This record gives sequence, C-alpha cells and structure tokens, in this order.
Amino acid sequence: MAAREASALGLRFVIHIQNTKWRGWWIARLIHFAAPRVCWYMNAPDAPFPPPASRGASVSPVSALDSPALDAEAQAVLIARVAARDRQAFAALFKHFAPRVKAYLRRAGMEASEAEEVAQEVMLLVWRKAESFDAARGAASTWVFAIARNARLDHARRRANLPPAPPEDEDSLAPCAETLTLTAERAARLRGALGALSPDQQQIVKLSFFAETPHAAIASALNLPLGTVKSRIRLGLARLRALLEDGV
Amino acid sequence: MIKHHPTPETLLAHAAGTLPAGHALVVAAHVQGCAACQVELARLEALGGALLEELAPEALAPEAFAETLARLDSPAPITVRQMPRQADLALPEGLRLPAALRGAEIGRWLWVGRGVRYSRVRLPWAPGGNVMLMRIAPNRRVLAHSHGGAEFTQVLHGTFTDATGQYGPGDMAEADSDLAHQPRADGDGCICLAALEGGMRLPWLSRLVGGHA
Repeated sequence: MAAREASALGLRFVIHIQNTKWRGWWIARLIHFAAPRVCWYMNAPDAPFPPPASRGASVSPVSALDSPALDAEAQAVLIARVAARDRQAFAALFKHFAPRVKAYLRRAGMEASEAEEVAQEVMLLVWRKAESFDAARGAASTWVFAIARNARLDHARRRANLPPAPPEDEDSLAPCAETLTLTAERAARLRGALGALSPDQQQIVKLSFFAETPHAAIASALNLPLGTVKSRIRLGLARLRALLEDGV
Repeated sequence: MIKHHPTPETLLAHAAGTLPAGHALVVAAHVQGCAACQVELARLEALGGALLEELAPEALAPEAFAETLARLDSPAPITVRQMPRQADLALPEGLRLPAALRGAEIGRWLWVGRGVRYSRVRLPWAPGGNVMLMRIAPNRRVLAHSHGGAEFTQVLHGTFTDATGQYGPGDMAEADSDLAHQPRADGDGCICLAALEGGMRLPWLSRLVGGHA
C-alpha cells in the first residue's frame, strides 16, 4: 500500500511541477543529476560513482577532508602531494590553513577584506612553492607561517608602492645538523610547551608574534615598562627552550 | 668565534617580522654568518608556526577557495629586479658584503670625520631606513653620540670597542636609545653595517649651541 501511495504521490508531484513555471528549472536539475551518471555508466559501469577527482574536476574544500585538525605529519604529506600538483591535497591544506592565515593577518591589523585577499595569495604561494618545502628542515606550519609573514610585509610594501624585498637566498641558509632536528614531530611538542608558560609570558609571546607592533607599543598597550616586556619575553623564551630540551 | 648575538627579544621580533627594515637587514646579515642564531631563529619560526596552528580560524568567503583554485594555473608574476647600484668600496682582501645586502644600493665612501668614512645603504623596499656602512681607521673614534631609537651594528671586519665591550667580526651590537657611546676601532680598523632608528643625536653639539643635552 505504501509503495502504491508513494508512487501516486510521486506521479502527482511530477504532474504538478510540469504545470508550474518552475518546470524548466526542475528539468535542468534532472539533467544535471542524470547526465554525468549516464555518461559514467556508459564508459565504465563497474567503477564507483562519483569518479575520483582529477585535474580540472571540481574540488571542494569541504568534502576534501572533514577531520577537524591536521597533524604535522599529514600536513607534510599534503604539501608533498601539492608539489605533485594534487588539487585535492591543496583543498585540504586550504581548508586547514587559509582561515588560520586570515586570523593571523587580521591580528596584524588588516581589514577583513584585505586579510582575505592576502590569505588567498598566501595559499597561492603555498601551491607555487610546495616543491621547495623540505620536511626535514621544519614543520609545515612553520613554513606556512614564514610565507604568511613575508606576504604580510610585501603587501604593506605594495600598498606603499615599494618593491618586495629580495627573496631569501636558500643556499645561504643551508640546514645545519641542529636545524634538522627541528622536525615536524618537534613542532607538536612546542605547542605543548607553549601551554606550560605562565599566562603573562604566553600573552607577551603571542603579542610579539601577532600584533604588528614593536615592543615599545606592546609595553604601552599593557601599561608595563619596556624593560618588563623585554624581560618577560626573555624569561618566556628561556622557559620554552628548557621545556623543549627536557622533553628530548 | 662570535661573542655578541642579537638579544632573544630582537630575534623573536625578526622571526615575527616586526622589526624595522633596517634592523631586520642587520639581523639577517648576522644570522647568515652565525650557526647558533640560525638554530635559534628556526626555533622561533617554529614557535610562530605553532601559534598559527592555535589561532581560532576565521572563515573565508564561500567563493574564496574557488577563486584561488582558478588562479592556480596562472603563471607566477615575474618581478624584474634591476641590479642595484653598488659602488666599489675597495674592501680589504677576502672580505665580501653579507648576502643580505644583495638587493641594496650602496653609495661610495664619504668622509665624515678624521679616519671615519660612511657609505649610505639604500633599501629599495624600505627607502626611508637609516642604514649605512662605516669604515673606521685603526684607533680612531666615531663622534660621541646617542640615538633617537635603537642602533644595530654588525661587524664585518676588524674590531671596535665601546663601553659595552669589544666587538669582532660576526658580532652584532644592539645599542638602545639611552646608550650614549663613542665606539673606537682597534688595531685593524673596523668595517661594519649599521642601522638606526630615529637618527643620531650629538649631545656635545647641542651643548655647544647652548641647548641642553
């Protein structure tokens, strides 16, 4: 009975939409839904639908990766895939990093629209520079941070009609053995160590990174003497280093 | 052996990209020659990365991803860089300017006092900065001065001494605005790269003209 009623209802619905001014839209929807499936069925009836995304296919950042956070290892793998021009991997990186880069730029004093534009530029640079990423030299988040920081500075220069600063000479900064130990795995520990700082020290380290202000301005914003700001930074950094070295 | 490094808070500001361009240039010149500071800077940049991870994400416009995707295949813009004009400074045998100065315009030596020469360094990306190379003859002094802001000095050749200590090749000195000093070159003379904020102040000059220093 249920099946018969349902099919009757379906038929009435089809007749209904055929008589409305939305007919064209419904037909278009139907074709949009059916056409790729028909084409796919005629080519390879055994393959699962939808086919895996290929170059030029639509890639959505939402469907690409729904896990809430990417760990450092997954990020490094994604960047390697992006270096091989994998758009699906790029979508996952975009989803993870673009909103964080935008938040960073906003904190550095950019307007929302400006931050949006520069965040897109940063992701474009991630795509273009992916080949130069070396997981042995540091974590992916470190690499993206450096790109975002330089893009922020170059954006400010462009607004003042100035040329960008010359790119850093990669050869002049050949990794030494100690730098190599700063691998992705260590970056995760760094975050843990950061949480172990006193709230005062955390606040000042974060302000140093994210407020586009020299230490003197931080001092006046927090109503502290400049010497106190500097000594808090020193203490915080010394503590971080101790925490990291203990954890080895 | 490098004895004097940038302070931790200066390296942090360099990693964060908040130093004025001239100061950033001097710190970059130091880091290029200092393995210890390379390690420290890598650590601080990793800290920046960790903080980036911790930031509360701010959603982009829904079409932002599609826009970026559409730009992926466009070729990277080619920036044509003019070779900056760099005067021949007749540097001592074997001394090369730091790689950080590659894009900078460097003027010829100008006489600014007995045994003291100065060459203006202009950064095309930060033309307002006050950056210079100094060459001080052996046992000569720079005029006693203080600064409107901090002065960073990287020694490229020889040594100089002031009240805060002796600085040799590869050392970097940070002089705060409250430090009045009169650096003196030692036996080999001294060539250094310096950047200062807020200009140089000459207390003796204002005393001379009747002001108060």
